[in-house]
This record gives sequence, C-alpha cells and structure tokens, in this order.
Amino acid sequence: MKYFLYWGCSLEGTGANFLVSLKPACEALAMEFEEIEDWNCCGASVSYAGANDLSIKVLNARNLALAEAKGSYDIVAPCSSCYIQMIKVNHEIQEDPELLKQVNECLTEGGLSYKGGIKVRHIQDVLYNDVGLDKIKEKVIKPLNGLKVAGYVGCQSVRPYGEYDSVDKPVVQDRLLEALGAEAVPFPKKIRCCGSGIFLPEIDYCLELVKDILEDAINHGAELVSTVCPMCAMNLEMYQGRINDKYGTDFDIPIVYLTQLMAVAFGLDMKKDAALNYNVIPPEGILQAALGH
Amino acid sequence: MEKNVNYDPSFAQEVFENVDAGEEIKMCMNCGVCAGSCPLRFNMDYPPRQIFQMIRLGKRDEVLNAKSIMLCTSCYTCKVRCPRSIPVIDVMHGLAHYAIKQGILTRRDTANFGREFWNQVYRLGRIDEKDLPRRVFFAAGFIEGIKATLKYLDMGLKLFLHRRMKLLPERKIKGIQSLRKMLDKAEKMGKGGAAA
Repeated sequence: MKYFLYWGCSLEGTGANFLVSLKPACEALAMEFEEIEDWNCCGASVSYAGANDLSIKVLNARNLALAEAKGSYDIVAPCSSCYIQMIKVNHEIQEDPELLKQVNECLTEGGLSYKGGIKVRHIQDVLYNDVGLDKIKEKVIKPLNGLKVAGYVGCQSVRPYGEYDSVDKPVVQDRLLEALGAEAVPFPKKIRCCGSGIFLPEIDYCLELVKDILEDAINHGAELVSTVCPMCAMNLEMYQGRINDKYGTDFDIPIVYLTQLMAVAFGLDMKKDAALNYNVIPPEGILQAALGH
Repeated sequence: MEKNVNYDPSFAQEVFENVDAGEEIKMCMNCGVCAGSCPLRFNMDYPPRQIFQMIRLGKRDEVLNAKSIMLCTSCYTCKVRCPRSIPVIDVMHGLAHYAIKQGILTRRDTANFGREFWNQVYRLGRIDEKDLPRRVFFAAGFIEGIKATLKYLDMGLKLFLHRRMKLLPERKIKGIQSLRKMLDKAEKMGKGGAAA
C-alpha cells in the first residue's frame, strides 16, 4: 500500500512526535510513503486574515499538482488542518469545472497544472479502511490491557465531508484504540473544538474550551488522552499549567498521538519509534503500568 | 424588539459582490443551529445567524466591527450542521478578510496572527513555528513584544527540550518564486481580492 505523505509544517516542529511515531508504526503495517517533493504550507485555518479564498485554493492546488505529476497514489494528510484544507479545496475543484479552470490559470503562472485526479485521505481513514482492524490486531504484541484512553477526535479530522466517519459522532479512533487493547472511554466532548489555530491570540477564551474537554475526559475515567491533530495535542498538553493557575484545577494528564500508542502496542522502541520522550507531560509511567499488568 | 423591520439591500449587495462566499447567506433561514453549535458562542457579540440578518438589514458598521467574525476557530461544526448547507465558516472567514482589508482590527492579536501567518507562507512557502509568534508578539510594539515573549518563554523552552522546536530558521521552499507568481495571480483574480 503506497501513499503520498503530506505531513505539513507542524509535524516537523511542535507535532514532531506525530511524524516520528507515524512512520515506523505505519511501516510495520506494510504501508509505504512518498513525500510530495517541495510541498508548501496548506495555509491552515487562519490564512483568511491575509489571503482571499482563491489564493488559499491555489496554495493547496500546488501540492495536489506536484503529487499528481509524480503518481496516482492517494495523499495521506495526518495533520487535521492540512487534511481539511486539502480535501476541501480538492472537492471544490473537482465539483466545479469553472473553479478548476481559474485555479489552473494561476498554477500556470508557476508552470504547473492540476487535472483533479488525486484523492486526499486522513491517516485514520487509511488505517481503518485500507489496513483494517484485523491486520492491526495481528501486529499488536504488547496490548494496552484495558488502559482507559479518551480518543479525542477534535473537529477537523473528520470534517467537512465525513468521508470515513461521522462528523458528529465519530467512532473510528475508538475502534483503532480498542484494536490496540485499550478501552476507549466515551466522552461527549470528543468532537468539541480546542480553539485550534486561534488558541494563542484568543487564549483567554480558549483556555476554557480545553478545560472543559480535559474535565470531560477525566470525569469519564480517562488516564490518557489520544489525538490525531498537532493543534489538539499542543493546546491540550502545553496549556494545562495555565489552566490550573486560572481555574484552580490540577490537570496533569498525558496527551499522546494515536500513532505513538500504535508504536508502543506493536512492541517498537519507546523512544526511537514511539517518541514518548517528545511529550512534555510524560506518558511512560502510565503506559508501563498498563503493559505490565 | 423592532416592530417594523426595514431591509436595506445596499450592504447585502456589497457582501454578495466583494466577500468570499458572501452570496451563501441568501439561503439562511435564521434557525440558529450555527449559533448553538459554535464553541466560542458565549464570547461572541452576535451569533452567525444574526450577523447574516444584520447584513440584510444594512448594518454595515456593526457587522464589519463585530467581534464574532474574528472568533472562528474553524471547527466546521456550523457548516456540517447547517440544515441549508451554508458554509457558515467560509462566510465568517470572508467577512473577516473583508473587514481586515479595510483596516478594521476588532481583534488585533488574532488579525495580526492570521496576517503574519499568511505573510510567512508567501515569504517562505512554509511556517516557521518560532518566528511566527515572535512576529505576532512584536507587532504590538517592542515593550509588548518583550512582555509576551517572557510570558511564553517557559513553553518555548519545554518544547525545545522535548525536540519539538527546530533550532534553525525555516528555509524557503525551492519553488518559492513560482509559488509567489501563482499567489499574485490568485490575489488579483479572486473575489475577496478586490480592493474595497
């Protein structure tokens, strides 16, 4: 199974533990990736402040065109912001020949063109639908032994089209967690937005969003929160101290990427492959306790 | 409550013509599902459905100065739930772009963050996660910049120590010149690119 991998800017920096763990975990499942050479940023969710809509479409179309010129594999975008930007632009281009023409008029300025033949997918989509739960279960040699994990889906990773999961009541991440041997705790705030890209400039409003999400996860028994989005991971993990200061709470719950849990359950190296040392709130203790049962 | 509502279509016309996705509000039946779905609804001055109604009423200043149009977290909940399939988020982004373009900075930090983000995409083709907050912090002035840097220093340090902050500055993508040509063209051709 070969795919283009479009990992985006965050996964080289604040979301590095996602990319570092994704590669070995997916390779263990016989997935093969090719980078889109010289890819550019997707514009994320805040570019509208400086750019009009067509510019953001063209920005994403450049990546689609670069991929299309190299092959016909699906593009896997693990970062939920990259995913939603790219899949949205791709759909809009594919459904509207007039828009495709406009976008190509702009791409031509830089010597590229896009026919509209590429498919954009989320990492959860390919894990669930292409690899499948059975194959994932086969690879598990260190099951997570009922570790209570809150599968925080966030918002963008299943939207806007709900191509592989419900946009309002998603289940795919929970099924994947269960395949690793964890217990996916139900919690209603699993699709509540964390503040995403405007967290930093609107911190006074967004701290409360994260407080509510963490409270909900913990009240439903979670020992650990998993996510598939670098903004979710950043906002949920790095601001716990500030939330504790503001609201008098005592949050200290590790936030890990789903792919980190996969690497652990597949028996891969805790540091080199699962990248657990990248986490600021250490998850090792909880994971070791679960594995040791 | 106003008893006699007078619609003034002049601003609505302006929105249809100049705001990206602006014409989508024609489908709004004011049900309020978007208002109930928004994570930051309690911090908004007007919920999206009310913004749409105010556009129809010709309340130009109130709409373009509204805090609401700057508070979108881009979670898409409003879009996926709208019974009339209005991309509410696209309209809010379009309105924010239009307002900022005219120098209206109701949420200064958020506007600066978004503008700096885009500037960096245009300059490098990618985002430098160290450089972006620095530019946003110092956009408000030198003293403010120092204060904000000190306020977030602990986080930056923790991320760096956990290998989540690149030390070297982000380099330009190879195709930066051709990317800029594409974006220049799109800026001219696009609807929301029209000068106010």
